[in-house]
Amino acid sequence: MEDWVSSEEDYGSSDRESLDGLDNEEPDSPWVPPKVSNTKVITKESLLAAQRDDLGRVTDLLSLREHHARSLLIHYRWDVEKLLAVLVEKGKPYLFTEAGVPVAEHQDLDLSVSASTLMCYICIDDVPSSEVTRMDCGHCFCNNCWTEHFIVKINEGQSKRIRCMAHKCFAICDEAVVRNLVSRRHPDLAEKFDRFLLESYIEDNKMVKWCPSIPHCGNAIRVEDDEVIEVECSCGLQFCFSCLSETHSPCSCLMWELWTKKCRDESETVNWITVHTKPCPKCHKPVEKNGGCNLVSCICGQAFCWLCGGATGRDHTWSSISGHSCGRYEEDGEKKAERAKRDLYRYMHYHNRYKAHIDSFKQESRLRETVREKVSNLEEKELQFRDFSWVTNGLYRLFRSRRALSYSYPFAYYMFGEDLFKDEMTEVERSIKQHLFEDQQQQLESNVEKLSKFLEEPFDQYAEEKVMGIRMQVINLSVIIDKLCKKMYECIENDLLGSLQYGTHNIAPYQSKGIEKATELSVCWSAKACTTDKRHKLNKQTKGSTTQSDQPSGSGSSDDIGCPLPKRARTGGFGAGLFDLNLPAEVSDRN
Amino acid sequence: MVDFARVQKELQECNRDVELSGIRVSPKSDNLAHLIGAIPGPHGTPYEGGTFNIDITLPDGYPFEPPKMKFTTKVWHPNISSQSGAICLDILKDQWSPALTLKTALLSIQALLSTPEPDDPQDAVVAKQYLRDYQTFVGTARYWTETFAKASALGIEEKVQKLVEMGFPEALVRSTLEVVGGDENMALEKLCSG
Repeated sequence: MEDWVSSEEDYGSSDRESLDGLDNEEPDSPWVPPKVSNTKVITKESLLAAQRDDLGRVTDLLSLREHHARSLLIHYRWDVEKLLAVLVEKGKPYLFTEAGVPVAEHQDLDLSVSASTLMCYICIDDVPSSEVTRMDCGHCFCNNCWTEHFIVKINEGQSKRIRCMAHKCFAICDEAVVRNLVSRRHPDLAEKFDRFLLESYIEDNKMVKWCPSIPHCGNAIRVEDDEVIEVECSCGLQFCFSCLSETHSPCSCLMWELWTKKCRDESETVNWITVHTKPCPKCHKPVEKNGGCNLVSCICGQAFCWLCGGATGRDHTWSSISGHSCGRYEEDGEKKAERAKRDLYRYMHYHNRYKAHIDSFKQESRLRETVREKVSNLEEKELQFRDFSWVTNGLYRLFRSRRALSYSYPFAYYMFGEDLFKDEMTEVERSIKQHLFEDQQQQLESNVEKLSKFLEEPFDQYAEEKVMGIRMQVINLSVIIDKLCKKMYECIENDLLGSLQYGTHNIAPYQSKGIEKATELSVCWSAKACTTDKRHKLNKQTKGSTTQSDQPSGSGSSDDIGCPLPKRARTGGFGAGLFDLNLPAEVSDRN
Repeated sequence: MVDFARVQKELQECNRDVELSGIRVSPKSDNLAHLIGAIPGPHGTPYEGGTFNIDITLPDGYPFEPPKMKFTTKVWHPNISSQSGAICLDILKDQWSPALTLKTALLSIQALLSTPEPDDPQDAVVAKQYLRDYQTFVGTARYWTETFAKASALGIEEKVQKLVEMGFPEALVRSTLEVVGGDENMALEKLCSG
C-alpha cells in the first residue's frame, strides 16, 4: 500500500508539469482563461497595495486616519461588508468601541498648558512633559513605560492588538507611536511589528491564504466571492483554497481528508487482518483459518483453539479439543468478519478505480511528448488542414476529465457509504442516487477512454483522410466530455447533495477551462500613495516626535511599491532593511 | 528587570492605609521580587474573620507583565484551587494592565472572595458544590476558614510542638508551617519529603 501514497504525491507534480508545458507551448491556447482572473497573487511587493483598497474604503467612508481604519479591519477580519453591516445596525460608537478605536479624539489641551513635569502612573515618577506621550484615548504615560509595554506585547505576539496601559481602557495604540518608540530601542522589533501588522491582511482574512507550497514561495492568494475554489499560484502549485491540500474536486474537503487518511493508514488491511486472523500463541504470526474445525495449527507447528486463541494439544474431535473448553462467541464474530469483509471489498472497489485513473493520468502525461512529436511530423507533411490545435485541446480535455473522473471515485465512496450520510438517506433513495451517478460516471468514463485511445494512435503516420477522421473524433469527444463533466457536477450538486446537508460539503465547481490561475495584483494606482508615504517618512525622521504623527502605516515596504511592478523575481534582495516576506512571520522569526 | 523603584513605592503606599484596607504586602526576603500579601476575609461571607496569605512572585517584566499570585492559606472557593491555591482571575492574566498595582490586584482577589464565579471555575469540585448545594458549600468554606485561616494564628504553637516532638528542628517547622499556610498535614508531608 505504500505506493498508493507516493503515487499521489508524484501525481501532483506531474500534472503541473504537463499543463505548464502545454501552456508555454501555446500561450494563446483556448483553455487559458481570456477573462481577467478574480483570483490574485499577493507577493511581498504587493502586500501593502493589496490592503490599500480595503483601507481606503474604510478611511474614506468613516473619515478616519489609516491606523484607526486598520484597527477596525483587523478586528473585523478584513471583512469590509461585515464592518459596514455593523455600522448600519449598531452605529459608529459601538463599531469603534468594539474594535478599540476611540470615538472622539482627545486633544492635548492639558498637556500644552501643564507644568514642565508630569506624574507617570506606571513608574510613579515625575517626568518632563516632553518625555510623555498621550494616546488617542487620552491616557498619558511616560515614553519609557510605553516602550516597555510595547516590547512586552510585541514579544507576546500581540502586535495587532496592543491596548492602552490604563486599566479597562480597550483602545488600540497608535501604530505610528509604537513604531517610533520601539525602533529607538529595538529597530528589529519595530520591523517585526510592522510585518505583523502588514501580514494581518493574510493571517486574519478568510479571503486570503498563504500558498501552501514547500519550500514556501512567499506568495499569498486572494480569492473573490467564493472560498470554495481550486486555484493555481504563480509558483505553479495548484491547490484547493478552502483546505489547502491538493486539488480534489468533485470530492468535498471533508471527503478528501477522510479518503487520504484512509489510504494512508491502510485501515482496511489492518481491519481485515484483525478480523480474519489470530496471532499464533507461540510465534505471534497472524494465522488465517482456511477451513475445518476450530483446532488450528500454525506453520510453526503450534496448535491452538480458534475460538479463544489459546494454545492447545493436537487431539480433537469435530466438536471439541481434548482437554480444552472455552466460551463460544462464534455468531458475533462471524457477523463482524462479514461486515469487515464487505467494507473492505467496497473500499477496494473504489480505490482500484481511483488508482487506475490516477495511473492512466500519469501515463497520459507522458503523451505530451509523443503528441508534440506527432504534431511536428504532421506539420512537415503538406496537408490541407494545417491547424493542429485540436490535438493539444483534446489532450488537455483528457487531462481535465481524468482528474474529475479519478476524484469522482472517492466521492462516490463517501456519498453512497455509511460514513457521512447514513442517516440522511433511506436505502431506496441511496440506491436510486447511486444508479443515477454511476450512469453519469460510466458515460464519462467510456468517452474518456475513447479519447485516450484516439490520441494514442500513431496518426502522424496516417493518410490525410484518416487524420481528418481522427480529428473529427477528437473534437467531438472533447465537446462531449466537457458536457459530461458539467453534467456530472450538476448531478452531484442538484440530485445528490442538493437535498442533503449541502452546507458542509462544498465542492469546488467544475471549470471547463481548468484550474483558475491567480494573476498578479496590479499596484500602479497606488503610486501616488507611495510618494506621500515617503514624504511622511522623512517628516517623521526629522521631527523625531512621537505625538500625533500622521505617518501612514506599513512604511516598511512602501519603498517597494513601484509602477509598474517588475516581472516577479522571487529570489534576491529587495530594498535594504526590508523584512523577508518569503516566509510567514513565525517561520522567519524562528530562524 | 523588575522595576524595584516602583515596587518600593507601591509597598509604602500600601502600608500607609493598612488600617483602612486591611491589605498588607511585605517582602518575603530581602529580594523584592518575592512578596507575601495578606487579605482579610470580607464581611458577610464564609471567609469572614480569616486572614488569607498570598504568595506573590514578580516576573522580570513587572509591571508590564502581571504578578504571579496564589493562595498559601487553604481556601474553599470555586475560583481558587483547593489543592494548589491557584487563582482564576482575569486581571492576573490577559486583563492585567500596568496601571494596576499589587494592592489593587489584592483588592480584586478580596472582591473575588465575596463574589465567586462558579461558571468559570478553577476548582470544579467546589464549583459543582456551590451550584448544587449552596448550604454545604457555605459550611465547608466556613470550616476551612476556621481551620486554616484562623487556626494558623491560634493553634500554631500547638502544631509546632507536635511536629518538634516528631523530631524536626523548630526553626524548620515554623518556616514550613508558614509556607503551607498552617496546614499541619501538608507541613508534615513537606518535612518528610525533605
